[in-house]
Amino acid sequence: MTSHWCDFQNTDVILHCGSNSVENHPVSSLWLGKAHDRGAKWIVVDPRYTRTAEQADIYCPIRSGTDIAFYGGMYHWIIENLIDPNLEKYLATGEMGDYNYEYLLNYTNASYLLDPEFDFDPETGLYSGWDEKTKTYSNHSWHYQTEKEENWDTSASGDYAWVKKDGVPEFTTPTLTLPKRDMTLRDPMCVYQQVKKHYERYTLDAVCDICGMDKETLELVYSTYGSTAKPGRAGMVLYALGQTQHSYGAQNTRAMCVMQLLLGNIGIPGGGVNALRGEPNVQGATDMGMMVNEHPAYLKWANTTDRSSLRKWLESQTYSAGYYTNKPKFIVSSLKEWFGEAATVENDYGYDWWPKVPSEKGDQDYTHISTFELMKQGVIKGYFNWGMNPCHSAPNAGNVRRSMANLDWLVVADQVETESAAFWKAPDMNPAEIQTTVYFLPCALIYEKPGTILNSGRWLQWRYQAVEPWDQAKPDLEMCDLLWTEICRLYKEEGGANPAPILNTKWDYYVNGKIDFRPVSWALNGYRTANSDFKAGKVDLLKGYSELGADGSTSCAMWIYSGFYNNNDAPLDPAQQPIGRRDNNDKSGLGLNSNWAFSWPSNRRILYNRNSCDTKGKPWNPDKKLMEWDGSKWDLVDQGDFVSAKNGQQVPPNNNTFFMLWEQNARLESYGMEDGPMPEHYEPFESPFDNALNGSQNNPMIKFTEYESTAHGGTDEYPIIATTYSVTEHWQTGGQSRSCPALVEAMPSQFCEMSEEFAAEKGIKPGDKVRVWNKRGSVVVDAYVTKRLKPFTIHGKTQHQVGLTHHFGWTHLYGTGDTVNDLTPNVGDPNTMVPEYKAFLVNIEKA
Amino acid sequence: MTEMAILYDTSLCTNCKGCQVACKVWNNLPSPIGTNENKFSGSLQNPADLNGNTRLIQTFQERDAVRGQKPVDWIFNRRSCQHCTEAPCATVCPAGAITKDEDTGFVHVDDSKCVGCHYCEGVCPFDVPRYRTEGIRDYVNKCTGCPDRVAQGMDPACVSTCQPSALRFGPRDEMLDLAQERLEILKGRGYEDAEIYGANEMGGLHVISVLKYGREATGLPANPSAPATVGMTRVMKPVTGVVTGLTVVGLAAMFALGVGYKRDKLVYNPETEDTVSLITGDVVKHGDGQSEKSVKEHILENHPFGIGKGGSDE
Repeated sequence: MTSHWCDFQNTDVILHCGSNSVENHPVSSLWLGKAHDRGAKWIVVDPRYTRTAEQADIYCPIRSGTDIAFYGGMYHWIIENLIDPNLEKYLATGEMGDYNYEYLLNYTNASYLLDPEFDFDPETGLYSGWDEKTKTYSNHSWHYQTEKEENWDTSASGDYAWVKKDGVPEFTTPTLTLPKRDMTLRDPMCVYQQVKKHYERYTLDAVCDICGMDKETLELVYSTYGSTAKPGRAGMVLYALGQTQHSYGAQNTRAMCVMQLLLGNIGIPGGGVNALRGEPNVQGATDMGMMVNEHPAYLKWANTTDRSSLRKWLESQTYSAGYYTNKPKFIVSSLKEWFGEAATVENDYGYDWWPKVPSEKGDQDYTHISTFELMKQGVIKGYFNWGMNPCHSAPNAGNVRRSMANLDWLVVADQVETESAAFWKAPDMNPAEIQTTVYFLPCALIYEKPGTILNSGRWLQWRYQAVEPWDQAKPDLEMCDLLWTEICRLYKEEGGANPAPILNTKWDYYVNGKIDFRPVSWALNGYRTANSDFKAGKVDLLKGYSELGADGSTSCAMWIYSGFYNNNDAPLDPAQQPIGRRDNNDKSGLGLNSNWAFSWPSNRRILYNRNSCDTKGKPWNPDKKLMEWDGSKWDLVDQGDFVSAKNGQQVPPNNNTFFMLWEQNARLESYGMEDGPMPEHYEPFESPFDNALNGSQNNPMIKFTEYESTAHGGTDEYPIIATTYSVTEHWQTGGQSRSCPALVEAMPSQFCEMSEEFAAEKGIKPGDKVRVWNKRGSVVVDAYVTKRLKPFTIHGKTQHQVGLTHHFGWTHLYGTGDTVNDLTPNVGDPNTMVPEYKAFLVNIEKA
Repeated sequence: MTEMAILYDTSLCTNCKGCQVACKVWNNLPSPIGTNENKFSGSLQNPADLNGNTRLIQTFQERDAVRGQKPVDWIFNRRSCQHCTEAPCATVCPAGAITKDEDTGFVHVDDSKCVGCHYCEGVCPFDVPRYRTEGIRDYVNKCTGCPDRVAQGMDPACVSTCQPSALRFGPRDEMLDLAQERLEILKGRGYEDAEIYGANEMGGLHVISVLKYGREATGLPANPSAPATVGMTRVMKPVTGVVTGLTVVGLAAMFALGVGYKRDKLVYNPETEDTVSLITGDVVKHGDGQSEKSVKEHILENHPFGIGKGGSDE
């Protein structure tokens, strides 16, 4: 989230799209309820009328997988109704009326001129730069025209003097290319004009035809949410996997950013683009970089092309302006933590010991979905399955089971015997034919170990151990330690492939000889290497990431967390660290709760918060003040997300309000995406309809369709749209919740939710068993016939959609069921590789 | 302690069932544990109704919207004991198992004293009490208001787990004031049928509900009242208290086999030797100087499954 849970109360309009937070994130309802009671309007856009919709004021149905059409229509509506009519008047008089022109002009790239080659062709559905052979884009033409260039001042008195310090690895510093701008927004190549042109096709009629709502409802949604464009008003969009789990999921997220920027809703209280994370600690897991492409703290891993050496990493990753000019400090400090004393400037701080992700075009992909294809091909022979359950949760789960049967060995670390631990005894598997050796490592529950937990609002909180782990179960860290220690012993005694990365890794996180989370916290927070010696229990913690150096003088495994554990007076007592703070007095009156725990980065509660003030530094909404320039200094209520002071001097207001980007303005158009600079509507991998807006049926860069296992099914055989979701009563694949009899009693099975009309057509009654199938699998579940799902009218045709819950499998004692993910397609988004769980085709009959 | 109440606001309730589960967990109420023994009810309302081990369920009803922009009204409610001021269950209980807490106004249960007579089932205007069977005996089960927690200054289990603050617990007059505030918000939002339930019903309930869609749509009785026979129990109770075990077991056998939503319960008044309908108060059979043995016959005569030669209790 750019915001946090308690900030929901500050909004004027709530928009749920792709989220059913009241049901799936129950705590959200407390804060949303507060906003509602203060008069906020509440909109829910969802294929079905959910428990969230029941709370809301406006409900707008939408066919699964058509979110970009919905957002594109909103941009078109905003431009036609709010921006264009009074733009010239604003330019002449500075009068804003119902639209925040000052924000658009000064804080976004609306005025930036794009490369003259920039183009989009609705006939083909492709942007400029497409290479048909590799099915990828070159983003060259998506960049800006350059006004002038500036180089870093690395002289002794310059801003970047640190580059020349001893110990800083050599690299060519970046050149800042200041973009050409047209502050009147009249130039046809300016981003605003290009956005306007691009979304002209997204009329109310076109959107209703594609998405299936009626025009009156759509206009009501647009005008209600559009009312937040007025300076001082706030609109908040809440989303979850309903947005991300599509073959264009990353573009859905971009689409929300563009909407919020057009309305001036980012960086203000009650605004933001707010992802509600599915696991209590999934935001933490994401920060920690448990991904193929991301190193901890959103730094990129080494690869085989533009990051094949430390020098190349620094030259490709360091921004020419803004806060990411400091990236060399982050990566060097990180390498110092990875390799400790073995990391020196002479050996590039051990950079070459990192494995390199294959990144040439056409290189093998090693992400989640491909992993199982590689098992099938016999490339991957052993598999560590730690804290996940792909035989249940991965798309096309039947394919996953069959692939896992090719493994020589499998390790599963979990609290209960999951479907993945027991894949060999699934109802459709023959144990006699499977030779895989399966090791099961019982792990401790969250209550059985201390540690950190990080919520969707980026709050890091210390959690204490309540009880001892059961039987032989161990915390994950202890399991890691046992494994790592043994691997190192074997390497030392017997040797092995690539010994240097293994034997040079720093691993000294012990207290009294026992592996411990507290020294791990020191490493995450960062410390001065000269005065620290973990083995001696000595550490010199940094106050925050501003103290990091690129010269090897500091170590820090997670620059974004720096400051969460910085009290040198009590390094072994989490209660005396920022993460242990429990003071809920809130001086801000906005629920910032700055003295409760720690919010990364730098205890900042609302990201991009400089945007809450106008160009003179005065809050758009004086009643909801995050900061204010009083003429000589900044009065900061929240931690400022901008340069408020430099060399001890206050910095007067400027327009560098998004300082995590080199432009320091936000991107309505972005060259950073793989599959297009602006969100464009494409149909899901499986859809009953042709793409009505352009000539490309699917995302041109959709991933993994080349795998035979994806088994595309056509509309003739599979005419029903299906989507998947969760219920409050169960938790993911049910390992925990299906072990609780009271929860199984509260929701005893999986169901297929369907409209009364569809049920009547098929002769299905409530509680009947129904079979749902496609080319990937077949499941039998209970029928849930409801008024809350209605058939859609799409391009004049009646279209049925159903919804399936996915918490049950063949393991556990109290409640079992078929694996609904046997049906979902293993295709993915080209930016994130996230699978398309949320829109696919099935057929249904009474079982 | 002052008179207390639970405030339940259907408009803040997200029907997550956290309260339902918390109730079972705190009160050690078991759930069926056979593999797939629990059956899907056809909607999110599971289990479908209260039972001998379930004191609280959240209910879900759908209807086409009556007014407003949205197409559907999804009506949520809490189905559990309402803790009446004039609690007929406590009045008819012959064994002292169900009692009124004169301080808080809540209706407590001590099931170790329950004789399994099922009288309380028949007199409850909200059809709340249920029985669980252990061996040959039945024990009453209904919400107790968590007196063990309240005595320690804690909220009842259901209230303590509620995320959106749809459940509150506090002095009854404060809860009524809060309910009034919530009602005004709902009226302002266009819920014209919204109302408060429990201010005066049954002498005043100790679960005050703010009903977004009104009592009729929510399925609550418009004018709840105790059956006419409850007044008689002041006479009956001392007598039934000394009646031999045979009578009580006999009554239990009769009621345990009862099925359906609203069952007409029959009781035998040894003083007048009449058999009386608990719901209507009508005398089904007048006394005729029966012996103890004929009491049993008499009961079986009116057995719902038609055991004995008599007709049903219609």
